[in-house]
Amino acid sequence: MMKNKNKNPFFFLRRFFTISRLFLIPAFIFLMIFVFYPIVATVYTSFISNTTGNFVGLENYNSVLFHGVYPLINGPNILQGVTPLGGLVNNFIWIGIHLPVVVFSGMFLAVLLRDVKGGTIIKSIVFLGVVIPLVVGGVLFRFILDKDAGVVNAFLSLIGLGGITRTWYAFADTALLSIILGSIWIWTGFGMIVYSAGLQGIPVELYEAAEIDGASRWKTFWRITVPMLRSTSIVVVTMTVLWELKIFDIVYVVTRGGPGGASDVLAYRMYNIGIFGGNYAAGSAIAVLLTLMTIGFAAYMVSRMSKP
Amino acid sequence: MKAKIATFFSKAKAYLVSQFKKIKLPKEKPKITRFTVLTHVAAWVIATIWIIPFLGIFIASIRPYSEVQFGWWNLQPFHFDPTNFIDAWSGQTSGYPLGNAMFNSLLVTIPATFLPILISALAAYSFARFRSRTKDILFLILVLLQTIPQQAVIIPIYTLFNNLHLLNNYIGLILLHTAFGLPWQVLFLRNFFSTLPIEIEEAARVDGASYYKIFRRIVLPITLPALASLVALQFVFVWNDFFFALTIITDPRLALAPQVIPLLVGRYFANYSLLTAGSILVMILPIAIYVALQRYYVRGLTAGAVKG
Amino acid sequence: MSNRLSGISKTLVAIVLIIIIVVAGVAVYVYYASTPQQTNLTVYALWQGTEEDNFKQALGNFTENTGIEVTYFGRTTEDLLVSVPQQLANPPYDVDVIIAPWPYWIKDNSPYLTAVTDVITESDFPANIISPVKTDGTIWAAPFKLSGKPGFWFRDSFFQNNGLSVPTTYEELVATLLPAIQAVPGIEQPIASGDTDGWPLSDTTEGFIMGLGGYQLQLDLETGPSARNWTDPQVRNVFANLTGILEAGYFSTPADWEAQIAKLWSGQYGLYWQGSFITTLPEVQDVNDLDFFPFPGTTGVAGSVDYAVITKEAPHPDEARQLVQYLAGADAQEIMVKQGGFLATNVNVPNSAYTTIDSKVVAFMSQPGITIVPDLDDTIGGQWQTTFWDQLKLLWTSPSDSTMNSVLNALQTAAIEQQGT
Repeated sequence: MMKNKNKNPFFFLRRFFTISRLFLIPAFIFLMIFVFYPIVATVYTSFISNTTGNFVGLENYNSVLFHGVYPLINGPNILQGVTPLGGLVNNFIWIGIHLPVVVFSGMFLAVLLRDVKGGTIIKSIVFLGVVIPLVVGGVLFRFILDKDAGVVNAFLSLIGLGGITRTWYAFADTALLSIILGSIWIWTGFGMIVYSAGLQGIPVELYEAAEIDGASRWKTFWRITVPMLRSTSIVVVTMTVLWELKIFDIVYVVTRGGPGGASDVLAYRMYNIGIFGGNYAAGSAIAVLLTLMTIGFAAYMVSRMSKP
Repeated sequence: MKAKIATFFSKAKAYLVSQFKKIKLPKEKPKITRFTVLTHVAAWVIATIWIIPFLGIFIASIRPYSEVQFGWWNLQPFHFDPTNFIDAWSGQTSGYPLGNAMFNSLLVTIPATFLPILISALAAYSFARFRSRTKDILFLILVLLQTIPQQAVIIPIYTLFNNLHLLNNYIGLILLHTAFGLPWQVLFLRNFFSTLPIEIEEAARVDGASYYKIFRRIVLPITLPALASLVALQFVFVWNDFFFALTIITDPRLALAPQVIPLLVGRYFANYSLLTAGSILVMILPIAIYVALQRYYVRGLTAGAVKG
Repeated sequence: MSNRLSGISKTLVAIVLIIIIVVAGVAVYVYYASTPQQTNLTVYALWQGTEEDNFKQALGNFTENTGIEVTYFGRTTEDLLVSVPQQLANPPYDVDVIIAPWPYWIKDNSPYLTAVTDVITESDFPANIISPVKTDGTIWAAPFKLSGKPGFWFRDSFFQNNGLSVPTTYEELVATLLPAIQAVPGIEQPIASGDTDGWPLSDTTEGFIMGLGGYQLQLDLETGPSARNWTDPQVRNVFANLTGILEAGYFSTPADWEAQIAKLWSGQYGLYWQGSFITTLPEVQDVNDLDFFPFPGTTGVAGSVDYAVITKEAPHPDEARQLVQYLAGADAQEIMVKQGGFLATNVNVPNSAYTTIDSKVVAFMSQPGITIVPDLDDTIGGQWQTTFWDQLKLLWTSPSDSTMNSVLNALQTAAIEQQGT
């Protein structure tokens, strides 16, 4: 293995291109071209004017957040409690409703279906929501919420509430909520599956000890299961919030962010302004905001995971 | 050399068996308590809630639209009508043949599934076996890169592809998906490689095998289960992707399967029979992959969840 | 343990790997990029279904006469509007002729088009149809198809069976006709509202703007805030009336626009504001039963023109010119007229070629007291158009004074952004 160090022309090349580095090169090239460069370019574009290309500081951010027809934070409407509240606010509403429901029902279902006969089949069915394309999920929910052809309205008529049937996603006050409902149906399976895996990691001895001590199921759940699922919960919460922040497909298919921007979300507004509307600068600003939120949140959660 | 591998496998097997014995539960008491009944009922109610939408679209797809218009649950009259699927596939009513679109999706999904595996395996091996401070920092960056939304890169990528005439060209889309798949795949594989005992490789090294040979002959075969996870997850993810397809492939002749679905909604008759038939066609493949590789899919998904 | 490369084989392996990937990539690219050389023209337009079939008949006739094959591709609105110009800015591409209904889009993209000033005869067309696509004496597009949104469509039989008569004044429409229709058994709401993209609502609103505010009001709004604000009292008045009718429940919830035609036909709706192309659609089971009345007292009608343009780097420029000349000519347009649902822009097409109902539309649109005005949202276009559609959906689903005010404010903000002050 010893080459004549001083005379070999490949010497320095070999020192640098160690196997460890060589193996990294393809990935490095891809990430450079398709991830790093675009992100930097997006950040740069968010600070320049769309028409002149000059540096304009935070003007784009200001305009997409507070101005225009569909500001991301619609101050006046928020104060009055009227829709549309703004894309950013809608994302937070989404998180506020979707996250607790998915986390709790995920945990609940994982525990419930652990011991039930045929539990694995039921789990697979629930999980299908995660596997199907989101646009199909959106279509599914358009279908369900339709005035005439939809199950939800039929159910309402069945229980005597036939008077309030309508196409739920077409109206400003219920559009966002109906899509959120759809997204809960789609994403609960994810929480359930991850919690199921987490449950398997809990040592049986703990449960056996609790049984011997005569603890009730309720107590066992809260004192043993939930704490032991802490790291799992962190993963579920992180992935779910990221999914909620990036939501696009369902909004596009069901409402196009309407009516009147009532179901607008960050990703959709970015598409509408930046790509459909061709305003690269404003679109980049929204993209940067979205990215800051996702990276920031992820970084925070990763740091929490390291804590004992 | 072979002897050493055999020893490794027998040791692993012994280890796994001992672990499995540990978690074997004590014999179930056949007593049917009120609680058991309750949980089973709850479980099946949950199953029903989740399956109704799927049931709905299935029934709607096999009947003519006139019967479904006011509710697919009205089972009289019931005429079996497979032409919806044929219509969706050939694009007779809509002008967008799903058959072509699904083929296009395959053209993109298959390369975009296998190419990143190659690249991420190399990179992950490097991360796992050759530690360094820089590597740890790079790894952290990779962890955070997973969270980046597609919107963050799309505008510069769109411009780049436009200049390179890669718009409406599957190559660009494949490379883009590859790049986006790399962070989480490298993460997953590195964790996997870390769990592989290094003795085999060291022994082979002593015997004079090159790193490449070690990688190809020893590490890769053992890694197959992990690779199966990557295949399952990446395939479903690329097939289901909508945003990149929407922005990069704009020629309807080249559209991918998920792109055609919103076109069916927005373009013509809200013919739910046609729409549901189309949705089922698009859903089949990801569901099939999930069912076939279920164990690996779930394992891949929960990899980060079940830590210590 | 040393991790330095040992042996040239390492470097070779890496190089080979990279070469394989690159070669594979190039091979796939070449495979995709090599489109077989076709000697036929490529045409993009928005038509699907019946409209597409009708258009292809005219194309077939062209092929018969000239021997030039034409391949037609229907594109979506979004696609044609946004991404096709991107392609035009980056030649080479394969499209020769595009048919689009947006004059502003044609003007914006004129750097990527070939002028047609010498391809068509300007005097064959009415002046107000040529002017939207003409800048400084250069004509950028050849007019092909005219559609009008003449008024409320209904079934003659429905009116006769229920003793209803066509209103001559706005008061008659609102106070007499609409409640009368509402009272007919089987009716859900008197007026159908179309959805999907949003243009049916836009057309209806334009009917109100011109009917209650006059054709000039629409022209001013198309010019922008320099001529008229959306918050001005004249506009407010129009919208107040519209909102009133919405609040009274006389409009249906917006649903798929073609499905609504079927419901009109089956008696669930009484009236439907639509374009003249409704006469060709399959849901209209008997064209002779179909009729319309204009907005009572209106002075204008919204017309949209489908124009044909030639791309600057068209692969077959000479053949493209031939096709465009043909499409703009009276012969082709007469063929289209005879199929129904098509109004000709070329003044040389004889009136006798039209079906009864189509000639009624033409007669209405060419009568002295009526000015043909460009379609509002197609003229302003861009993001304003999608905002307009979205805001109208909001107004339709939650009509109220406060909604109306916020909609007008939103439209004004969007207009300022797009058209300037």
